[in-house]
Amino acid sequence: MEEYAREPCPWRIVDDCGGAFTMGAIGGGIFQAIKGFRNSPVGVNHRLRGSLTAIKTRAPQLGGSFAVWGGLFSMIDCSMVRMRGKEDPWNSITSGALTGAILAARNGPVAMVGSAAMGGILLALIEGAGILLTRFASTQFPNGPQFSDDPSQLQPSPFSDYRQYQ
Amino acid sequence: MEGGGNSKGTGLGGLFGAGGVGYSHADLAGVPRTLGKYEGVSLICFVFPQDTDEFILPTGANKTRGRFELAFFTIGGCCMTGAAFGALNGLRLGLKETQNMAWSKPRNVQILNMVTRQGALWANTLGSLALLYSAFGVIIEKTRGAEDDLNTIAAGTLTGMLYKSTGGVRGIARGGIVGLTLTGLYALYNNWEHMKGSIARQSL
Repeated sequence: MEEYAREPCPWRIVDDCGGAFTMGAIGGGIFQAIKGFRNSPVGVNHRLRGSLTAIKTRAPQLGGSFAVWGGLFSMIDCSMVRMRGKEDPWNSITSGALTGAILAARNGPVAMVGSAAMGGILLALIEGAGILLTRFASTQFPNGPQFSDDPSQLQPSPFSDYRQYQ
Repeated sequence: MEGGGNSKGTGLGGLFGAGGVGYSHADLAGVPRTLGKYEGVSLICFVFPQDTDEFILPTGANKTRGRFELAFFTIGGCCMTGAAFGALNGLRLGLKETQNMAWSKPRNVQILNMVTRQGALWANTLGSLALLYSAFGVIIEKTRGAEDDLNTIAAGTLTGMLYKSTGGVRGIARGGIVGLTLTGLYALYNNWEHMKGSIARQSL
């Protein structure tokens, strides 16, 4: 995945949704396999069957929840790119917090605040790691492409600024 | 097209934001979405943007730009399609089930429950199918080292078989046949459009 550049904005939603679904389904599959294995009656056959059942019922659900998160996050991200006219880590952090808040909306305001903080902190960690990685990589390859020297970047347009922070 | 900053090759350009350094809005309008993935590759892709599955790769480009790059998009698209279809289906079912109720709050809640439940169900099902299909596609492409419609058909068949693998031999056979049929039809459709003439497909 070393050459993975993010999609232009409207399609990024679909891409992020799929990525989140993949992550949730595979992670949930592994987790549920272990859990089903442990929770089954003794006997390898029973345990394997319990593990399979757990995967079949739970992994798609977890993937779906992740997909909702990813899709909503990306939608807010794209809206903010459109509104603010630029793309920076604050977009991601804010959309993470907003996503957490929206998805916890039915649990009351306290849960919303907690969930928003969780989302914001999580995304801040991810973005920080991305920035560190980029900085590290650019010190390793000092002759990398320079964004600011690109003359085509000077045109003002809502989706033009695609510098990558992650 | 202003591809000056984008022809930097596949090495660093992809890492440091080859994602369209500066397209104005007019340039983005009307360009097929596949452009976004290959902006780091070469100018050849700009001149002849192909459809999703059979693009012309410049020689020496990375082979993983085939299925793996499309996998997330496929899964996400399937998931969203499933959610939309499931919501519609849930609306239909809910309206049918509560036909002779007065227009009231319980009825609305019941319909809403149906919509969300069906939407989640369909989205999960289609999403996991797409996940299996993409995984099989990537694996087959990697092991064969080639990319054509045969991969599509094989991946579809394997997906159907695995998805129905708990239903015994009969279930496996049925799932495999369904997968084979669907992906075979898709491949035929693809090839038919390809044979019909690439002129129509290249028009922006």
